[in-house]
Amino acid sequence: MLAYIVRRLFLTLPVMALVAVFVFLLLHLSPGDPAAIMAGENATAENIAQIRTKLGLDEPLWKQFALWVLALASGDLGQSLFWGDPVTTLIGQRAEPTISLALTTISFAVIVAITLGVTAAANPGTWIDRGVMGFAVMGFSLPVFVVGYMLIFLFAIELKWLPVQGYTRFAEGFVPWLRNLVLPSLALGMAYVALIARITRTTMLEVLSEDYIRTGKAKGVANRPLLLRHALKNAAVPIVTVVGIGVALLIGGVVITETVFNIPGIGRLVVDAISRRDYPIVQGVIMLFAGLYVLVNLLVDLSYTLFDPRIRY
Amino acid sequence: MTKIARRTVLKSTAAAAAIAGAPSLARAQARPSAARTIRAVFHGDVPTYDPIWTTANMAAYHGGMVYDTLFGIDEKGEAKPQMVGKYGYDAGNMTWSFELRPGLKWHDGTDVTSGDIVASLKRWAARDGGGQHMMQRVKGIESKDEKTFTISLKERYGLVLDVLSKTSTPVCFMMRKKEAETDPMQKIETVVGSGPFTLNMAETRPGTQYVYDRNPNYVPRAEAPNGISGGKVVKVDRVVFVNMPDGQTAVAALQAGEIDFYEIPQPDFMPQLEADRNIKIQILNQLGQVGLIRPNFLHPPFNNVKVRQAMLHCVKQSDHMKATFGDSKYAKETPSYFAMGTPMENDANTGWFKGGQNFARSKALLAEAGYKGEEVLLMQATNIPYMSNSAQLLAQELRQGGFNVRVEAMDWSNVVQRRSVKNPPAQGGWNIFITSAGGTAVGHPILLAAHAATGGSAWFGWPEDAKHEQLRAQWSVGETLADRQRIAREIQENAWNFVPQVYYGQWVQPAAMRTNIRGVLPVAEIIPWWNVEKV
Repeated sequence: MLAYIVRRLFLTLPVMALVAVFVFLLLHLSPGDPAAIMAGENATAENIAQIRTKLGLDEPLWKQFALWVLALASGDLGQSLFWGDPVTTLIGQRAEPTISLALTTISFAVIVAITLGVTAAANPGTWIDRGVMGFAVMGFSLPVFVVGYMLIFLFAIELKWLPVQGYTRFAEGFVPWLRNLVLPSLALGMAYVALIARITRTTMLEVLSEDYIRTGKAKGVANRPLLLRHALKNAAVPIVTVVGIGVALLIGGVVITETVFNIPGIGRLVVDAISRRDYPIVQGVIMLFAGLYVLVNLLVDLSYTLFDPRIRY
Repeated sequence: MTKIARRTVLKSTAAAAAIAGAPSLARAQARPSAARTIRAVFHGDVPTYDPIWTTANMAAYHGGMVYDTLFGIDEKGEAKPQMVGKYGYDAGNMTWSFELRPGLKWHDGTDVTSGDIVASLKRWAARDGGGQHMMQRVKGIESKDEKTFTISLKERYGLVLDVLSKTSTPVCFMMRKKEAETDPMQKIETVVGSGPFTLNMAETRPGTQYVYDRNPNYVPRAEAPNGISGGKVVKVDRVVFVNMPDGQTAVAALQAGEIDFYEIPQPDFMPQLEADRNIKIQILNQLGQVGLIRPNFLHPPFNNVKVRQAMLHCVKQSDHMKATFGDSKYAKETPSYFAMGTPMENDANTGWFKGGQNFARSKALLAEAGYKGEEVLLMQATNIPYMSNSAQLLAQELRQGGFNVRVEAMDWSNVVQRRSVKNPPAQGGWNIFITSAGGTAVGHPILLAAHAATGGSAWFGWPEDAKHEQLRAQWSVGETLADRQRIAREIQENAWNFVPQVYYGQWVQPAAMRTNIRGVLPVAEIIPWWNVEKV
């Protein structure tokens, strides 16, 4: 097992290297000049050129890349072109809201989606099944921002139950923290719920048609333990795989959700950085997200051993 | 092996969370109450703490909180002393003398001295167009004693106070000598001003929120506030600039009472806000913005005056305003070369406007110019709605007027980058770009960089006209308002002949705020937060 983990971690290196090359080239070869943005509306060409020199943007591309990779290798993500602060510090300041949003969304989505998927599979062809699948199609089709604005209108403007926007730190109280996360988590979790509910239903239907389930029923096992203890555990591997894959969906959704709900997280940080061409921040955050995604996939692979003892690494 | 009880783990986790959260809790408890705090959302993020280094308005908003100015303009646009107490000039009108008023202190507790002022003036003048215009006529700026400094002139110059008090960016904010001696091309990083608010760095989160606390040591002037002149009496404990990029969220937050002020609600949201009895609408900058279409004088076809004149006959300003603002009471046309509503507004040489859109006339002028259908490259900034709308409309108008137009879509940062390229359009240059400028600056022949027509050293588009420059120089030494207005007419008469730029309208941006916010002063370019209270 340990050897497998070490091997997998080594395999992440070429993946991260490819991501690094891709991100760097994509940013630096796309149009737009941070120096021009920083210089402002009335800047002269000389002003812009001076800023470009100061930021090192007039150096050859290969040299800029080499310097960035060398710094990256020592854990230094560089400094924001606009703020001058280390990228790691800026990410650190924004990490809590994003982690909170991701955790509440995953918790909400997994609980709701598995419940819906199992319920639909237990009642195939009924109105419950059709209702769940209809909800799943809708959840997957509606963009996050549309769901977000609808939730804001209903629960914040009309009913005044929850705040429109913002984030309260966990240290300032659990209830205020949660109140700020309910609507964003619902909005962001919709697509995730749809994805997991559909795969849960499909996998459960497959498992429920297995011989051992029929045997269980014949031996008088009650419906609930049959579904949850015997069927769901055997359906878990594909579900966990989709939960892992869905993290990419979640990362993309976080960027939009944080903008709609004005949550000062890493998603907002990267959106602002893109519009300003603040290369070090964009590069740093994408590297972080890529690393996170690779790590989540590793954890998903390792979790298979918990659900299916036949799997060994 | 010692067993660890689940209860022990839970207790330890709770204790660790409490310790980790203690500083945040302490900060939360130290915060002023919501009733004494204003949360405001503006058009963007504060791009830097140095309001001299950039022309971005958000930096000037920040500057207006923490820094003070020597002079401020009142509602009539007249310069009134702010940090200055006594001031005057010698008999020959060649040396100005200024004495700082008593009680001025930096946020670090030290006294404001004339040495700080001299260094601040020099740094600001190196960055600001108006400052540079003044410095061309300045022999020296000197500190005479701790509280007194002088500005000696090489020649008569009537704009000293206008330039020192202007609200167009970069505003002439005063800084400590230590910061003011920073290279003007470098940003300052330390924020120590002498203004009515201090920046609370502990609670400020760059890109998210900027927290300004009332400066308890600030001594306001005795006069009533008027424009940005008069006493800067702060009536709340804290103002928070919240960076909220999504307009729809900002409107919802305002309606829900989560923020108190929103600077730029989009026209689509105005009916919704006007119908909300908890929200009031106020126009803070009565002169608003003027839309500018800049042709490039360096390359065909706009190096030909008749082609530029043809453009005047193509643009229908009311259509441009409708494209963005609908049938709005917040937008109007501006035939005056100097913005409507400013003292220099006039109707000299506006026959092209009175005659209305005239494509036949445009085509005739193009024929006279010998235009052979050369391609006109129009840069369209797609991420700024009013610029994008106007670019599309302008392209169609010009085509109908006989031009061969190619629109190149890009974001604003690319327009900013590309507009500085002097090469022909085929080699990375351009023919037209669209922008806007504050009405106050457009109404002033000197303060707007785009008004200069000095060729290669002028603003992007590089217009050149010797008569225009001669008239601007005359205007700057005009003795009376009547003199200046007469010269302004001459400038306009000439400008609408050589056409350095074409306007596509003038509009104001109404701000929306909760009805319990009182005392927001109507000022162009800056939003003052003194005098404002939450009742």
